[in-house]
Amino acid sequence: MTDQRISATELHAGLARIWDNPPGWRTLSAVNHTAVGQRFIVTGVVFFLIGGLLAMILRTQLALPNQDIVSAETYNQVFTMHGTVMMFLFAIPVLEGLAMYLIPKMIGARDLAFPRLSALGYFCYLFGGIIILASLVLEMAPDAGWFMYTPLSDKNFSPGKGPDFWLLGITFVEISAISAGVELIVSILRTRAPGMTLSRMPIFAWYILAMALMIIFGFPPLILASILLELERAAGFAFFDATRGGDPLLWQHLFWLFGHPEVYIIFLPAAGIVSTLIPVFARRPLVGYRWIVLAIILMGFISFGLWVHHMFTVGIPQLAQAFFSVASMLVAIPTAIQIFAWLATLWSGRVLFALPMLWIIGFLVIFVAGGLTGVMLALVPFNWQVHDTHFVVAHMHYVLVGGMLFPLIAGFYYWLPHLSGRMPSEKLGRWGFWLTFIGFNATFLLMHVTGLMGMPRRIYTYDTGLGWDWLNLLSSVGGFVMAAGIAMIVMDIALHFRFGRLAGPNPWGADTLEWAMPNPAPSYNFASLPVIQTRHPLWEHPDLPETVPAGEHHLASFDHGRRETYGVEAVSGKARDIVHLPTNSWLPLQISIVLAGLCISLLVGAYTLAAIFTLVTLLMVLRWSWHNGAHPVAEPLRADEPLDPPLHSRTASGPGLWGMVVALLANATLYLSLLFGWFYLWTVAPNWSVPEKNPIGWLPLLVSGGLLTWATLWFQQLTRRLRKGEAAGLALKLWLVALVGAVHCAALLWVLLSAELQPLRLAHDAVLLVMLLYLLIHSGFLPILTALQAMRVRLGYVGAGLPYEPVVLLPFWIYTLGIFWLSVAAFLLLPISWGGA
Amino acid sequence: MRVAVHPVQMVMGFIIWAVWFVAIYGGLSVACDLAPPSIWLGHMTWINAVLLGVTLFTTLFLLALAYRCWRARPDTDNHRFVVWISFAGYVGAAVATFAVGLPILGLPPCL
Repeated sequence: MTDQRISATELHAGLARIWDNPPGWRTLSAVNHTAVGQRFIVTGVVFFLIGGLLAMILRTQLALPNQDIVSAETYNQVFTMHGTVMMFLFAIPVLEGLAMYLIPKMIGARDLAFPRLSALGYFCYLFGGIIILASLVLEMAPDAGWFMYTPLSDKNFSPGKGPDFWLLGITFVEISAISAGVELIVSILRTRAPGMTLSRMPIFAWYILAMALMIIFGFPPLILASILLELERAAGFAFFDATRGGDPLLWQHLFWLFGHPEVYIIFLPAAGIVSTLIPVFARRPLVGYRWIVLAIILMGFISFGLWVHHMFTVGIPQLAQAFFSVASMLVAIPTAIQIFAWLATLWSGRVLFALPMLWIIGFLVIFVAGGLTGVMLALVPFNWQVHDTHFVVAHMHYVLVGGMLFPLIAGFYYWLPHLSGRMPSEKLGRWGFWLTFIGFNATFLLMHVTGLMGMPRRIYTYDTGLGWDWLNLLSSVGGFVMAAGIAMIVMDIALHFRFGRLAGPNPWGADTLEWAMPNPAPSYNFASLPVIQTRHPLWEHPDLPETVPAGEHHLASFDHGRRETYGVEAVSGKARDIVHLPTNSWLPLQISIVLAGLCISLLVGAYTLAAIFTLVTLLMVLRWSWHNGAHPVAEPLRADEPLDPPLHSRTASGPGLWGMVVALLANATLYLSLLFGWFYLWTVAPNWSVPEKNPIGWLPLLVSGGLLTWATLWFQQLTRRLRKGEAAGLALKLWLVALVGAVHCAALLWVLLSAELQPLRLAHDAVLLVMLLYLLIHSGFLPILTALQAMRVRLGYVGAGLPYEPVVLLPFWIYTLGIFWLSVAAFLLLPISWGGA
Repeated sequence: MRVAVHPVQMVMGFIIWAVWFVAIYGGLSVACDLAPPSIWLGHMTWINAVLLGVTLFTTLFLLALAYRCWRARPDTDNHRFVVWISFAGYVGAAVATFAVGLPILGLPPCL
């Protein structure tokens, strides 16, 4: 590590020149995590307000019996959009935004590992959200519920465009979630401050790490389900149609494989806020840090084993239901570990009841109540009784509003000074809290009662005399009181930017690194990066807010013109490289605009246009990948390069390799979901049938697989030699590998074109076709990406001292090889052994 | 890095739990489809016997892995942290395996 001492003012000016966002409209090209995180949060809040207005329509309609303020059709659209907006466009993105904003600041980094990916994620989220909301304005909103159950959402029962808006829009938004997941995992594991071992990580980073991993494994099943349903709706393929060998319950499995973990994806970051704030306001370290890390891991895993508890009434055998029932109860244990740790911290501390703490107390009360009704719902007989009643609506809102919204608002108030340099108003803030708390409980506590009295959910009106009238009226009044509370909070936050009291450094007396920088935070976060030797850096080194901006720590230089931060070993936190980060770029915005065009052209059925947009997207993504490593736009080789530690693109294990592996994990989950669908339909679908003869040509398939195996092994050998510094004839060999890969791809295309598949008639053939297309897409990328590497060798961007990029590409070759032979075994060989075609 | 202090151990217990969970849920569905036993047998069926055997084996295997972590002697704070989480994770996964598997003792498999 090398240090250069210069004046703090000079250092600030130099770093700001490198890191600041461009002014005016060019700020849209900004990729800095502070800007992107703020955009996610602001956009999420706007969607929250829209979702809240939709909720007000629902409560107005239900306030009195036999009302016809909105029709049944409109009511269906409104409750579908309320759920969709709140779950997909508010809860997850706003928490991702908060994580993107905070994580680098908390772990002592200057930015996330892949800034352009964050920016792309934001624009995909924004445009996807606009497309989904456009359906409301166009009066063709989806009306099949936010879970879009088949067969209600298929072409027969929903012939309009509503479900298409949902399926395409949500898939578009999910690009954002997956990119955030990859980004956060790699950033937390690889770009922490030197010395920050796993056991010294701020507890919030553990929560976000778990959330991001859950996104990687939780979202692909829904992405696959959405693709399959859209293929069924647009092209007539058979996946969920029981008459053609499909099964509508497959949708429910895939949806809840995503949907239940999603609840914890939302809860974990919120719990992370709680675990961060409680020690600050209790003025003592968190009790049971290790236990809480354990609870986070437990929760992350067990939450994937609960999905069938949403399906207890669909006719699954009792023993299988019991597995999920017990697992659903077990998940209360890690929750309880956290609650007891929080209570113990409060009990043993000297609690300061500032405004954020009020929201934390509100969270504890509401979330515990929601958790207890969750345990009730885990019991199969009780679940049957209250299934599809307002009791479930009440439980869900206690868990999600109590478990996510209350901590989120606590976090907003806590980190406001970080954003604006000013403090919120205690008076307005307290009014906002009490109105929201009372209004929330008035709305949803009573819904438990209406639910137990038999009021079904998703009905647009009801007869008088059922005993529900006054409960619904009070519920609606509560809803409006809560809305007044939210309005008060929005007003408080808006006004504080102008009238709030100026905040000094570290105004709450916190222990985490984000308060070691000036308020509001500069674009580069830390003028110098400190070595971390404790879990509570600001409590044990209270001079950090002075020494960090003064440049008294590491990487306090700017004359190289690079955006740089440390890359560390994931476990020990030992510095191993300097990660040079990309600067502002228009590519994320441009690609997301083209993707929005693709999404809209699919919506209106303009498939030629969609193909053109796909091609343009591909070209732009390749251009993105071109501006990397030693390319002049990134970081060309220079004589004065740092060597100890070196720049990451000069090594064989930079963050890009980690990003590739994590992205492949998400990809593998999508593939395994397809595999699950295949076996599920094979064993459960009531009318599953197989063609009389095998529709796939074996010989070209085996030839194709042989070529892929050869090319992969050859590429692996080349990268192994490259790591050792041997690059003789590298360009030519890469061209040859690309050629073999292209021949493999052509053979696979031949298999596809010559296959006698009938995807419109048989679910069997529809799934086989999707599997072949999936393989073909992967195989198609390999020769292109390898040929690009060959070109980069010629241009001097890849070579003996620059082994990075082929090493990043290698896992993609191996993955493609793996799924090829697994597909041959699972889709073709195994069914033969069962007596199929 | 020694196996006992490798960070993958922190999640390995629950990865094993997840594989076991998928195996018994998927295995139950396939077994009921291919060779459902008579409903008059109640829970005394070959399916329950196999599921119970797999569950007990997995539970004991997880406890053995926990014991190995218990005996590890990590040399740094960070390694102690990793080993403690791994140990507790294996014990937690063993408890979860046993608890989720308990209904096998009392419920018919395919009803």
